[in-house]
Order: sequence, then C-alpha cells, then structure tokens
Amino acid sequence: MGEQKLFFDEVTVGDEAPVLSHKLTRTDLVKYAGASGDFNPMHHDEVLAKAAGQPSVFGHGMFSMGLLGSALTDFVGVGNLTRYRVRFARQTWPDEVLSSKIVVTAKREDEGKNLVDFAVTLSNGDGEEKVVGEATAALPRRS
Amino acid sequence: MADGAASIADILKGIIGKPTGRSRVVVERGPVSLFAAAVGSTSPIYHDLEAAQAAGFDAIPSPPTWPFAMEFSGKFAEIQPDDDSGPNPLGSALGPLMANGGLILHGEQEFIYHRPIQVGDVLVSEGTISDAYQKESKGKTMTFIVSETNWSDDVTGEPVATTRFNVIHRA
Repeated sequence: MGEQKLFFDEVTVGDEAPVLSHKLTRTDLVKYAGASGDFNPMHHDEVLAKAAGQPSVFGHGMFSMGLLGSALTDFVGVGNLTRYRVRFARQTWPDEVLSSKIVVTAKREDEGKNLVDFAVTLSNGDGEEKVVGEATAALPRRS
Repeated sequence: MADGAASIADILKGIIGKPTGRSRVVVERGPVSLFAAAVGSTSPIYHDLEAAQAAGFDAIPSPPTWPFAMEFSGKFAEIQPDDDSGPNPLGSALGPLMANGGLILHGEQEFIYHRPIQVGDVLVSEGTISDAYQKESKGKTMTFIVSETNWSDDVTGEPVATTRFNVIHRA
C-alpha cells in the first residue's frame, strides 16, 4: 500500500530529490499550531516571544520536520516511508526561505523489501542547517 | 551541590523503563487534511478519497509527522483505556531539573512506520522512557531523556508505528 511514484530499480546512490522551497510566514506558524495543537506562545505570540528575549516568534521544530516530510513524500510517494528521523539543529525565523535537500545514500534489500536510504536536510538561504536527519523508503520495482 | 547532582542522576536512572501512559486515538479526515496543508503538502491524496484510492490506499492516508499530532484531535475522553501508569516520568525528571533553571529543547524526533496510518484507524499507544542520561558539554550540563511510544491497530493488534523523541535540558 503506497503511492507508486519512484521505483527502486530507477534510483541511484547520489540522486537528489527536487528541492522544495518555502518562505516561512507567521501565518504558517498559526496554521501549524492549530493543526497540531502545539500552542507554545513562542511560535505565535510576538509580544510574549520578545518579552522572553527572542527577536520574534520562531518556527515549531515539528513544522520544519513536517515540511521536509512533504518534500520526501513528494519524491518517494505517500505511504512508502519506513523510517524518518531528524535532529533539530537551529531555530527557524519568519521570512527565512527554507529549502529541502534529499540525497540517496544507499540501496539495500531487507526481508524481501527494496529499501532506499536518504540523507535529509532543511536549510535557510544562507545554507544554515535547521533540521538534519535521515529517512528510509520501501519502493516498488518497475520490472 | 554534589548531593543535588547525585539525586538527579538517581531520578534519571529511576525513570528508565517507566511507562509514560496509554492512549486510544481516532484518525479523522478533517484533522488529517488540515495537518497535511499545514506542513506544506500539495498532494491531493491527503484530501481526496478518489486520489487516495487511485494510489492504492483504502482511505485517506496521513503525512509522515502526523503521529506526533494525532492525539490533539483524536484522543476522545470517553474511549481512553485504563491507565495506572501514574505521573508521567518525563515530568518527574524535568520538574527538579527546571527548578535550577535552564532550557528544555526538543532534540530529536524519529518515526518508524509499519504501515500507513489512514482515516478511520483507531490506534492504541503504550509509551516508555527508553533512556535518560547526562553529559557535560562546554561547561553546561546536558540532560537527555528519550521517550518511545508504540502505536498499534486497536482492532487487529498489529504494530502501526513507533515514535521516539528526545528532550534535552541544558543548564
């Protein structure tokens, strides 16, 4: 069960997924808060964020992981991930342009599954890494 | 100070393996579609049953990070399982740590998927603290607490997903 979009026999180590770029807005943070239930005011209340010494509201780490997850499923197809892990490296800020980088690092077979491993990163326009991790997808074969 | 440090170490050792609680969650279409839009996905599969079925799903599937958010919309009070696991051990450890100040960070997040989570699923979870330890780094004390939750299908009992996160306290 999964969207057939990428095929195991057509993937090569070193391949890169199309880049997903997104300029972060305060509206994104309000939408993510409402959809996830994470109402930590540091992500939507500019007055409280500044009072706490932050320059402005900042993004939910899980928004970044979610955005990078959308770039992943756009590439491998919905429903094919078997694992997705990230480390939250830095805060994200409104008006930053966040871009995904997804690189194939390995292909392997395990218990009859055709697995492809990826290194995944979300960075801003200056190349500062916000979220760094890895993912694995089980992919169908074309032939 | 040495006594305080020792007692935190004891608290951390004491919470490893302790349950963090159980829950039962219903996966519904509205929340899944809103969540997919909120994480920047434009795939029609998260919104349109026909598109989902054309892609091989029985129902609308959920985005990769959905398990982290699904209790918010689907953990209805009247369907919760009996839970005698007591106070959350995460709180028992973070309370004394925060008493001396410091910062709590979401350090890492991991999902392991056994099958796609779809609209209509009823899932049950059981969580435990899988690790807790301290490290000194650049003159700061870093405390790591790793929490793991296993989600399974309420009807069939089959494993569906495992979520794991670590919380870092830095002081």
